[in-house]
Amino acid sequence: MLQAILAAGIAVGATYALIGITYNLMFSASRVMSFTAGQLGMAGGVLGALFIGRMGFPVIPGMILALAGCAIIGLVTEFVAVRPVLGALDQHLYVLSTLGLALMIQQFTAIEWSTEPQPFPRLIGIGEGGPFDEKFWLPVVACAATVGGLEYLYRRTLVGRAFLAIAEDNFAARALGLPERNLRMASYALAGVVGGLAGFASGELLLAFFANGAMLNFLGFVPVALGGLGNNRGALIGGLALGLFQQAANFLVGGVFASVAVFTVFIVVLLVAPQGLFGAPPSRRV
Amino acid sequence: MRRALPFFGLFGAALLLPLFSNDYWAVIGARAAVYWILVGGLNLVVGYGGQLAIGYVALLTLGAYTSAVLVAKFGVDPFVSYGAAGLVGAVAGVVVGLPALRLRTFYFAMTTLGFATIVTQVALAWQSVTGGGIGIGGPELPKPFDSPWGFYLFALALAAFVTWLSSNVAQSRFGRALVAVRDAEVAAEAVGISKPHLLTTVFLFAGACAGVAGGLFATLQSYITPEAFSFDLSVTFFIAILVGGRGSILGPLIGNIILTLLPEFAAPLVAWSTFLYAALLLGIVLAMPGGIAAMIDFKNRRPLASNRAILPNPALISGHGTARGDIVLKNVVLAFGGVRAIDGLDMTIRPGEVHGLIGPNGSGKTTTLNVISGYYAPQEGEAFLGASPLPHGAPRARAALGIARTFQTPRLIGEASVLENVMIGATIEGNASFVESVFSLPRHHRDEKHLTAKAMQALATVGLERLAEVRADRLQHSELRFMEIARALILNPAFILLDEPAAGLSGDEIKRLGELIKAMAAQGIGVLLVEHHADLIFDICDHVTVLNLGKELASGSPADIRAHKEVVSAYLGG
Amino acid sequence: MPISAAEPLLSVSGLTAGYGKIAVLHGIDLIIRPGEIVALLGPNGAGKTTLLSAVSGLLPWGGQARFAGQDLAGVSPREAARRGLVHVIEGHRVFTQLSVNDNLLLAGYDLPARERASRVEEALSYFPEIAAKRLDKGGALSGGQQQMLAVAQGLVRRPKLLMLDEPSAGLSPVLVDRVLSVAAALRDAGTAVLLVEQLIEKALGLADRVYAMAQGRIVLEADTTEPNLPHRLEQAYFGHDAVPEPGFSRIS
Repeated sequence: MLQAILAAGIAVGATYALIGITYNLMFSASRVMSFTAGQLGMAGGVLGALFIGRMGFPVIPGMILALAGCAIIGLVTEFVAVRPVLGALDQHLYVLSTLGLALMIQQFTAIEWSTEPQPFPRLIGIGEGGPFDEKFWLPVVACAATVGGLEYLYRRTLVGRAFLAIAEDNFAARALGLPERNLRMASYALAGVVGGLAGFASGELLLAFFANGAMLNFLGFVPVALGGLGNNRGALIGGLALGLFQQAANFLVGGVFASVAVFTVFIVVLLVAPQGLFGAPPSRRV
Repeated sequence: MRRALPFFGLFGAALLLPLFSNDYWAVIGARAAVYWILVGGLNLVVGYGGQLAIGYVALLTLGAYTSAVLVAKFGVDPFVSYGAAGLVGAVAGVVVGLPALRLRTFYFAMTTLGFATIVTQVALAWQSVTGGGIGIGGPELPKPFDSPWGFYLFALALAAFVTWLSSNVAQSRFGRALVAVRDAEVAAEAVGISKPHLLTTVFLFAGACAGVAGGLFATLQSYITPEAFSFDLSVTFFIAILVGGRGSILGPLIGNIILTLLPEFAAPLVAWSTFLYAALLLGIVLAMPGGIAAMIDFKNRRPLASNRAILPNPALISGHGTARGDIVLKNVVLAFGGVRAIDGLDMTIRPGEVHGLIGPNGSGKTTTLNVISGYYAPQEGEAFLGASPLPHGAPRARAALGIARTFQTPRLIGEASVLENVMIGATIEGNASFVESVFSLPRHHRDEKHLTAKAMQALATVGLERLAEVRADRLQHSELRFMEIARALILNPAFILLDEPAAGLSGDEIKRLGELIKAMAAQGIGVLLVEHHADLIFDICDHVTVLNLGKELASGSPADIRAHKEVVSAYLGG
Repeated sequence: MPISAAEPLLSVSGLTAGYGKIAVLHGIDLIIRPGEIVALLGPNGAGKTTLLSAVSGLLPWGGQARFAGQDLAGVSPREAARRGLVHVIEGHRVFTQLSVNDNLLLAGYDLPARERASRVEEALSYFPEIAAKRLDKGGALSGGQQQMLAVAQGLVRRPKLLMLDEPSAGLSPVLVDRVLSVAAALRDAGTAVLLVEQLIEKALGLADRVYAMAQGRIVLEADTTEPNLPHRLEQAYFGHDAVPEPGFSRIS
């Protein structure tokens, strides 16, 4: 049983961590938390099943198409739901605009795809059924690849440093002549790819299901909230911890009480440390 | 009274509905009424308080199951079960709402969403009580409420009642305080509004409404399963309010009717209804943030006179509150990070004096003002009012001590009228409790009359009485500055702290501001004036303190200061 | 486009700007010629930072402004920097998470990749103090070093006009001289400098010309060689009753 808990826990945990990183990528570029983060995960699964399962593309081209689709959703988020309200961040209109867009994506999928979970194709075919089934380790591989890729981006490339710069001080970055708008769009496209990858890699585990969007929205947000906004390391640790905790509770006390437990822990930790466990304190208000 | 006309029209039309339609419409109509009972309460949380509670379907669920289980398993009277549902809803409303006191908007939205998911899952799993996925029968009402029209009229009556209650709240100091917390939280604190008390009260009220709506919903459905409480429903409630417009009762009422009826008129679109609502939400946010309420707000479409002048009437400043002595700072030190923003400052502000505070950028002027008004606690030293120390970090307590202030950037409540913006200043003078206001009892009316009169007087003092009914965000910058002064004056303060009141004003306006400030001092008010306009400072101050790097550089009469060589060079550089 | 000696590098006329409803600048006229240092003085809230931000495209503005023979209307900070108009904002806001070297490389984001490293070296040559710390994080530098880094970021672009907003704020006197000496060195190399400065004697000692602002207007323009300047500045700020003396050009 321990093996099963570990395998499933790390797999879903890696998925939550990836959605958490998706939130962070969008937040770092714009100070906006977007409800579309979870929908990107959902879209990754659905588009993967569409291109590979229904339309018969080979795995690699199918994956590229699915991720490209998610990158476009990321760009649409930036253009439709974020850019128009950036001027009034203090009014929190982005909560409403991204909620509206997220619901549109979810409902469109429910109607045009299916309201029932649809199977996701076997991608490779390794470890049929056991704890080493690909459905358990694919999300882990995707998560490791993403974290490694981002690390490379931030440490080795000028674009990556420009991302860090606009995340730290948007105004100073603009004054320095950095193309802030292009960088923001690039961040959203990248967020789309990462979110899509989360859903694609966990497709065999979570299936291609429209309601995954709302579920991932919440469970992907938990590690961000606990780890602190914009903190990818926090999201990674928080995501894995959440996945293990959830699966352990699932096996030990059953699904519903696992959800209640997750929610309770989430609320309690947030009330005790509203900035997250690794977050920074708030700035001056007056 | 004119404000009530559209409501009479809508509910009157609803009363006529049975005369020319069939039972099917009775059910649709009852649904709209039941939803409104929830939305009417939620409107105070979302529309007035600005708290983005998107998961209110959870309270509907709790109310519905409370009512259904009590009737089915314990044989409770259905009407009593509605009451119990309201009680459970009120408690749950506070539990769901409390995180709002600590968490930022997106976080709070997420917690309500999470709560909604959990409640549905529990309802599904707790089969012994809720019947799980199979469901449970809803309470059946006795005659004459058992027929579709009978229930319709019952629900309609309750909906009308909720409308009355919620508009009573909206038009009380509690409603204004909610909007103030939403749009200008810092200013709300400065006038003594307690956000925790206020929100808790409103969460209780909205939760009770949602719980009762849940009980009625169970009756309406006659059989409930967890599936009936989809998240889509929650979104519909939320969107009805935003489509209707924030800070309005009529707008969300219309929004609620439209959203309930829309699927009936556009049958082929039923599957797409949530999609369309979401698109509507996005469209409203981007194109028309005011919603329906702004669309039908004809009064504020009329153009304002373009060349209006602000003509204060300083003679109207009335007697001040009794000062309990001077405000005295003793060796105050306050550092942010390693930087000492205030570095051992002594200062005395006396009643009846204009005390100017000047100095270059970053010299600690506004920080000093924020220490006096309680936003920052000094790390060393102490601030006194008379003999007693001013409580640290308690801006809310200042209004009761007769200390009022304005802000460097006017903190206006944009969607409220100028009059309401000023009335906010005297929130603590209201005597009626929330319950008295909800039921519009005499003390509530006395409060309103008193506050309105005082606010009009304050507006006349600063010269804005003709703009009293205008939405504040339509005012020019200089008018907003004077409006903030009126908001401080309405309190009859013993001390008034002005943070750069002349910034952005024309020469004439600065002159009138100066006269107004002098009149305040003449009436015995102690004025602390943080300003950059050197001429204004030298014209009207009795005493000037010059700060540099958080320390007093000089202190004395304006003439002393003008002659002070170091001051001149520090100030010129600044 | 070559610029004749007579034509100003930057010319601004009737410039207005503000934040939302608040109008801060009410019609600013100002010119800067190639290779001169111009000091911009004025009390708090006079609109100095707003003026710099408008010119560099960080804020929307109205009126006319031309730089190096081209119209500045609608030009973004990025485009302004490309044309050689560089604004070093106040408060030495360098990127604390990035190394000194990366901070400078970012300033050259729009330059061809092969030129970046040499431009960084060139900028660092003005500040040997921070050249030694090029691998340290920006956040590990002292305030004075961060200010040097911020100025060096501006130099990476080889500006025609460098606008420095309060480069001496919060620095010790020695460091102030150090930072300001770079402005003098730049002038010798032909770069114009617009300096917002609160240390009035230092500014007057360094600059060729001076503008003083108060309440969103230019209230004084003078050569720094003119006599009795501090007294006239004082009058320009403090007294609306101040009577202009002969040779005192008072605009507004």
